[in-house]
Amino acid sequence: MSLNQEVKAKKTDFTVRIWDFFTSLKLVIVLLLVLSVLSIVGTIIEQNKPLQEYYRYLQPSTVNLFGKLGIFDMYHSWWFISCLAMLALNITACTMNRYAPIMRGLRKKSLILDENLEKTLNIKDKVKYGLPLAEVEKKALAIIERSFSGKPTVTQLEKGEWHYFFEQGKYSRLAFFFTHLSVLLIFIGAIIGSLFGYKGYVNIYEGEAVSRFETRAGKIKNLDFELKCNAFRAEFYPNGMPKEYLSELAVIKNGKEILLKTIRVNDPLSYQGVTFYQSSYGSRPEKAQIEVRNQDGALRGIVEAPIGQSVPVPGTNDMLEVADYQEHFHLPDGSEGGAAVGVNIYRENAAPIGVWLAMEQPDYDKLRRGPYQLLVRDLRLKKYTGLQVNRDPGEATVWLGCLLLIGGILCAFFVSHKKLWLCLKTDKKGRTELIIGGMTNKNRSIFVREVEGIIQRLKEVA
Amino acid sequence: MTSSLLFGISIFVYFFAMVLYVSYLAFRSEGLGKVATACLWAGVGVETAAIGLRWYESYQLGIGRAPLTNLYESLVFFALTIAITYLILERKFQIKTVGAFVAPFPFIIMAYASLNPNDIQPLVPALKSNWLISHVVTCFVGYAAFAVSFGISLLYLFKSRSETLAHGSSGMFLGYVPAADVLDEISYKTIAIGFPLLTIGIVTGAFWANVAWGTYWSWDPKETWSLIVWFIYAAYLHARITRGWRGTRAAILSIVGFSATIFCYLGVNLVLSGLHSYGGGQ
Repeated sequence: MSLNQEVKAKKTDFTVRIWDFFTSLKLVIVLLLVLSVLSIVGTIIEQNKPLQEYYRYLQPSTVNLFGKLGIFDMYHSWWFISCLAMLALNITACTMNRYAPIMRGLRKKSLILDENLEKTLNIKDKVKYGLPLAEVEKKALAIIERSFSGKPTVTQLEKGEWHYFFEQGKYSRLAFFFTHLSVLLIFIGAIIGSLFGYKGYVNIYEGEAVSRFETRAGKIKNLDFELKCNAFRAEFYPNGMPKEYLSELAVIKNGKEILLKTIRVNDPLSYQGVTFYQSSYGSRPEKAQIEVRNQDGALRGIVEAPIGQSVPVPGTNDMLEVADYQEHFHLPDGSEGGAAVGVNIYRENAAPIGVWLAMEQPDYDKLRRGPYQLLVRDLRLKKYTGLQVNRDPGEATVWLGCLLLIGGILCAFFVSHKKLWLCLKTDKKGRTELIIGGMTNKNRSIFVREVEGIIQRLKEVA
Repeated sequence: MTSSLLFGISIFVYFFAMVLYVSYLAFRSEGLGKVATACLWAGVGVETAAIGLRWYESYQLGIGRAPLTNLYESLVFFALTIAITYLILERKFQIKTVGAFVAPFPFIIMAYASLNPNDIQPLVPALKSNWLISHVVTCFVGYAAFAVSFGISLLYLFKSRSETLAHGSSGMFLGYVPAADVLDEISYKTIAIGFPLLTIGIVTGAFWANVAWGTYWSWDPKETWSLIVWFIYAAYLHARITRGWRGTRAAILSIVGFSATIFCYLGVNLVLSGLHSYGGGQ
C-alpha cells in the first residue's frame, strides 16, 4: 500500500467514524436525556429576571459565574443551542442513513409465494377444496377483498400455479421521514422567526394612535400604518374576577380607516403580518380637581389642574402642578395607600417641593403641616391598552412541522405495511390447493388475528 | 342532587373498585373479577354524571363553561380518564390482574381532589378559548395512558423478579399475573397511545399560546416540563424500536416518564411559578 492510499484509508476511516457517531442511536438517547436535564435546570432557576433578583438568593460570585455561563437565559445560551443543533444534525444524518433501506422496503415486492418467502412469514396456512380452481379463486378473492382493498398482482407460473400478491399501507414506511423531518421543519420555522421576526410591546391611549414601537431587542420599529385605540374596557364578574379585556382598535392608513376590530385576550388583530395581542392595560391622569383648605379645614378654593400645567394656588403666590400618578401608592409606613397623585408646589421665596396626595386618605396632606392643605376631589384618568406586538414569518413553517409530526407519529404507530400472498394450484387428484401467507412490519398480533379471520372464512368455503 | 354529592359517591365507588381488584388478585375468583370491573365502570358512570352535572350547574350560575379549568376539575378529569383508559385496555388485552396496580389511582386522585376548593369560578379572559377543551382533553388522556403504563411497568418489575427467582411457578399472586414479556408489550402499547396524544396536547397548547400571548413557545416551566416528558418517552420509543430495549430498562424509563408527567402536572403548579397558574391551588 502506498503512503497516499494509507492517508486516504485513514481519512475514510475517520469520516466513517464521524458518520457512525452522528447516526448512532446512542447519540439520540443521550441528547434527549441531556436536553431534559438541562431543561430542568432552566425551570428551577427562574429565567430572564432582573439581576438584582438573583442576588437576593445567590452568592454574588455565583451570580457572576451563572451570568457568564448564560444560565439566567439558558434556553438561548450557546451550549443549549448547540445541543439542539446536534439533535438537528443527528436527525439529518439518520434520515440520510435510513433513506435507502426505507425506499427498498417500499419497492421490494415478492410476487411469488415460494419456500424462501414462507420461512419469513408471520402466518401461513393451507386449505384443500374439492372445487375447481376457478370457483375457489372467485370465492377466495371475494373474501380477501373485504380486508384488503385494491387489486392484487397476479402471476401465473408454468406449472399451473396462480400467485396473488396483496399489499396495504405501504406508504406508512414513510412515517419515519415525516416524524423526523417535521422536527427539522419546526427548528427551521423557529430560526426564521428569530431572524426575520420581532416581538415588542406598545401602550396606546384611548383616542390616540401609534405607528412605532420598541421591540424586545430594544429597536424602534416603524409601521407603515397607524394603529388607533378607540376605547379600552375591562369587565369584571360580580365577585371581582376579571371577565374580559377589550380594546377597540382601528388600522389607519393614509388617514383612512381600513380595519376596525375589537380585540380581546385569545382574539388578536392581524394586519400585514403584524399581530397585536391584548396584553395589559392601565391609565394616566388627565386632569385633577384639587381642593385647597386652610389648616383649620376651611375651604380656600378649588383648582382645576390639567396634568403638567402649573396653576395658581388660591390666596397665595404659589403655583401647583399635577405631575405624577400611582395606582398603588405605598404610605411611608409601607402599607398600601390606594391611588395617589404627585403634585409639585412651586413656592414663593422657597425651593419647590413635591408631595403625594393619597386619594383615599383626605387628611394625608395635613401631616405635612404646610400653610395650607391639598386634597384631590376628582381625577379624570385616561386609559391605555397594552398590546403585545408580534411578527413571525416562521409561524406557518412551525405549524406545518407540527401537523406532519402528529400525522407521522399516528402513522408510525397505527398504520402498518401489510402483505398477503395467495397461491392456488390443482393437485394430481384434481383437488384445488390454496396456500395463504401474510407478513407485516409492525403490530404483528393484530395482523395475525386479522389473517386468522380470513383463513377461517376461507375454510368455510365449500 | 348536586355534583358535589355525586363526586363524593364516586370516591366511594372507586374505593370499592380498588378493594375488589386487590381481592381479585388475592383470591383469583372470576366472579370477583367481574364485580371489580363492573364496580370501576360504575365509578366511571357516577363520575361522568357528576362532571356533566357540574357543567350544567355552571350554566345555572350564569357562568357556563367546561369543567376543566382549575386544579380540582383537572384532578377529577384525570381520575376519570385513567379509569376509562384502564378499562378499555383491560378489555383489549385481558389484563384484569393489572387492575390492582391501576385502580388505586382514581380513588387516590379523587380523594386528593376533594381536599381542594371546588367552587365553580367563572373563566378569566386567558382561558376563554375554543382551544381549552381540545388542549386539556388530549393532555389528560395522554397522562392517563402514561399512568396505566406506569402501573403495568411496576407490576412488570415484580413479575420479572419472581420469574427469575423461582423458575416457572412463582409464589403468591404473581403466578396469576400475565407473563413478564406480555406486560412489557402492553406497557409499550399504552405508551404508544399516550405519546401521540401528548404530542397533540403540546401542539394545541403552543397554538393556543400563540393566539393568546403572541408566542408559541416561551420556555415557561409548564411548557418546558411537558417537553421533558416528551423527550423521555421519545427516548423510550427510540430505545425500544431501534435498539430493542425491553424489560427492566424499558420499565424503569416508563416509571421515570410517569414521574416527570406527575411533576409536569402537579409539581410545576405547586412548586414553580409561571404562566400556567390556573391549575395551581389557591
